[in-house]
Amino acid sequence: MSEIDIEWPWQYSFPPFFTLQPHPETRSKQVAAWKSLILDYCKKNKVCIVDIREADQLPLFNNSAINRKLESGVIVSILGELQKTGNAAAVDKSKNRWEIYWHTLEEWGSIIHDYVTSNGLTNSVMTLFELNQGESQEEFHGLHTDVLIKALKTLEEQRKCELILSDEDQGVKFF
Amino acid sequence: MRRRAGLGAIQKQKLQQEKYKDKGNEIQENQFEQMTKQLDVFKTNLEEFASKHKNEIRKNPEFRRQFQEMCSSIGVDPLSSGKGFWSVLGIGDFYYELAVQIVEVCMATNEKNGGLISLDELRTRLIKARGKSNKHQEISSDDLMRAAKKLKIFGSGFTVVPVGKGKYMVQSIPGELSMDHTAVLQQVNSLNKSYISVSELRDKLNWERDRSQKALDHMMDQGLVWVDLQDVKEKQYYFPSLFNACVDSAK
Repeated sequence: MSEIDIEWPWQYSFPPFFTLQPHPETRSKQVAAWKSLILDYCKKNKVCIVDIREADQLPLFNNSAINRKLESGVIVSILGELQKTGNAAAVDKSKNRWEIYWHTLEEWGSIIHDYVTSNGLTNSVMTLFELNQGESQEEFHGLHTDVLIKALKTLEEQRKCELILSDEDQGVKFF
Repeated sequence: MRRRAGLGAIQKQKLQQEKYKDKGNEIQENQFEQMTKQLDVFKTNLEEFASKHKNEIRKNPEFRRQFQEMCSSIGVDPLSSGKGFWSVLGIGDFYYELAVQIVEVCMATNEKNGGLISLDELRTRLIKARGKSNKHQEISSDDLMRAAKKLKIFGSGFTVVPVGKGKYMVQSIPGELSMDHTAVLQQVNSLNKSYISVSELRDKLNWERDRSQKALDHMMDQGLVWVDLQDVKEKQYYFPSLFNACVDSAK
């Protein structure tokens, strides 16, 4: 994935930002700054999946200019904080793979639903490919299919759509 | 008879002494009166001068500084005089307003610098916050120091710390910095850096490891310093308040 220039916050060039701070007050400022940086970075670069074992390859967690990396244990604890607000979720038990939701799944659901209703697509069937890989320039364009399905499931619970997930076809019908 | 004459002589002498004393008192009183008159004249002149040059005093920071010095030489503090003539001048109000703005800037930046800010950054932010409405009023570092010192009356919450090379930092958190903490700040400042390590303090100040560690740990407990464990040599202690990217960031 090509890197989009993001405006890094001042903390990103501040070496101790990559060391978990022992002082509670400072640490909570640090964690808050990391949380918003992660969501901002993932949103701009459309990064939906973060694998902790390969986190070094993301400039987000590895600032080569100052030679500082965020330790994987620290990344997991910060992602855990994001999970509390519905902005991330571990997909495997060992907490190596994480999905990042810069919009919560419910928010994604309503963004998609708004798009569908305002474009007169209710009562029609769409493929998931059309939604996230189609020609639309909507925010959910480029959203990882796994995340898309989870977002649609929140709509399904509200009986606003029905997912059709067979091996060959992945589609959704909106009501 | 000798006795009588003797007594007379003593009495005469006594009388003379009293006369001298009276004269002395008279002269002293005269002088005092003169002095008081002179001081009154000076005060009146100073007041006249102040009201005549009111606008210059408000506009020109150098003028303001010299005026302050003149006032303090005769024991007048236009800053604390809220009544009478000096209040009409509004000099106290000027510093009062500055003091309030200093508090505002300190509170707004506390989130990132932990309550320690260089006078330079404080000045830049304050001028920016004052906006266009006050563009005719230049604010000097001297003005800020005077205003910040007035904030001391709130207890140990506000302190101006000299860090050498004519630089100052304003601390806006309770809990005073000790000599050792100030010395650390001075070192960091004199090296033109934003960080320091225990061994650097040993080299520069001849401090034992314990002493350095204690000072740095205390400043970390105050939220003034962040620790970096990824330096190749040793732990480094960073001051966000002296870190350029932090100083320059809008947030």
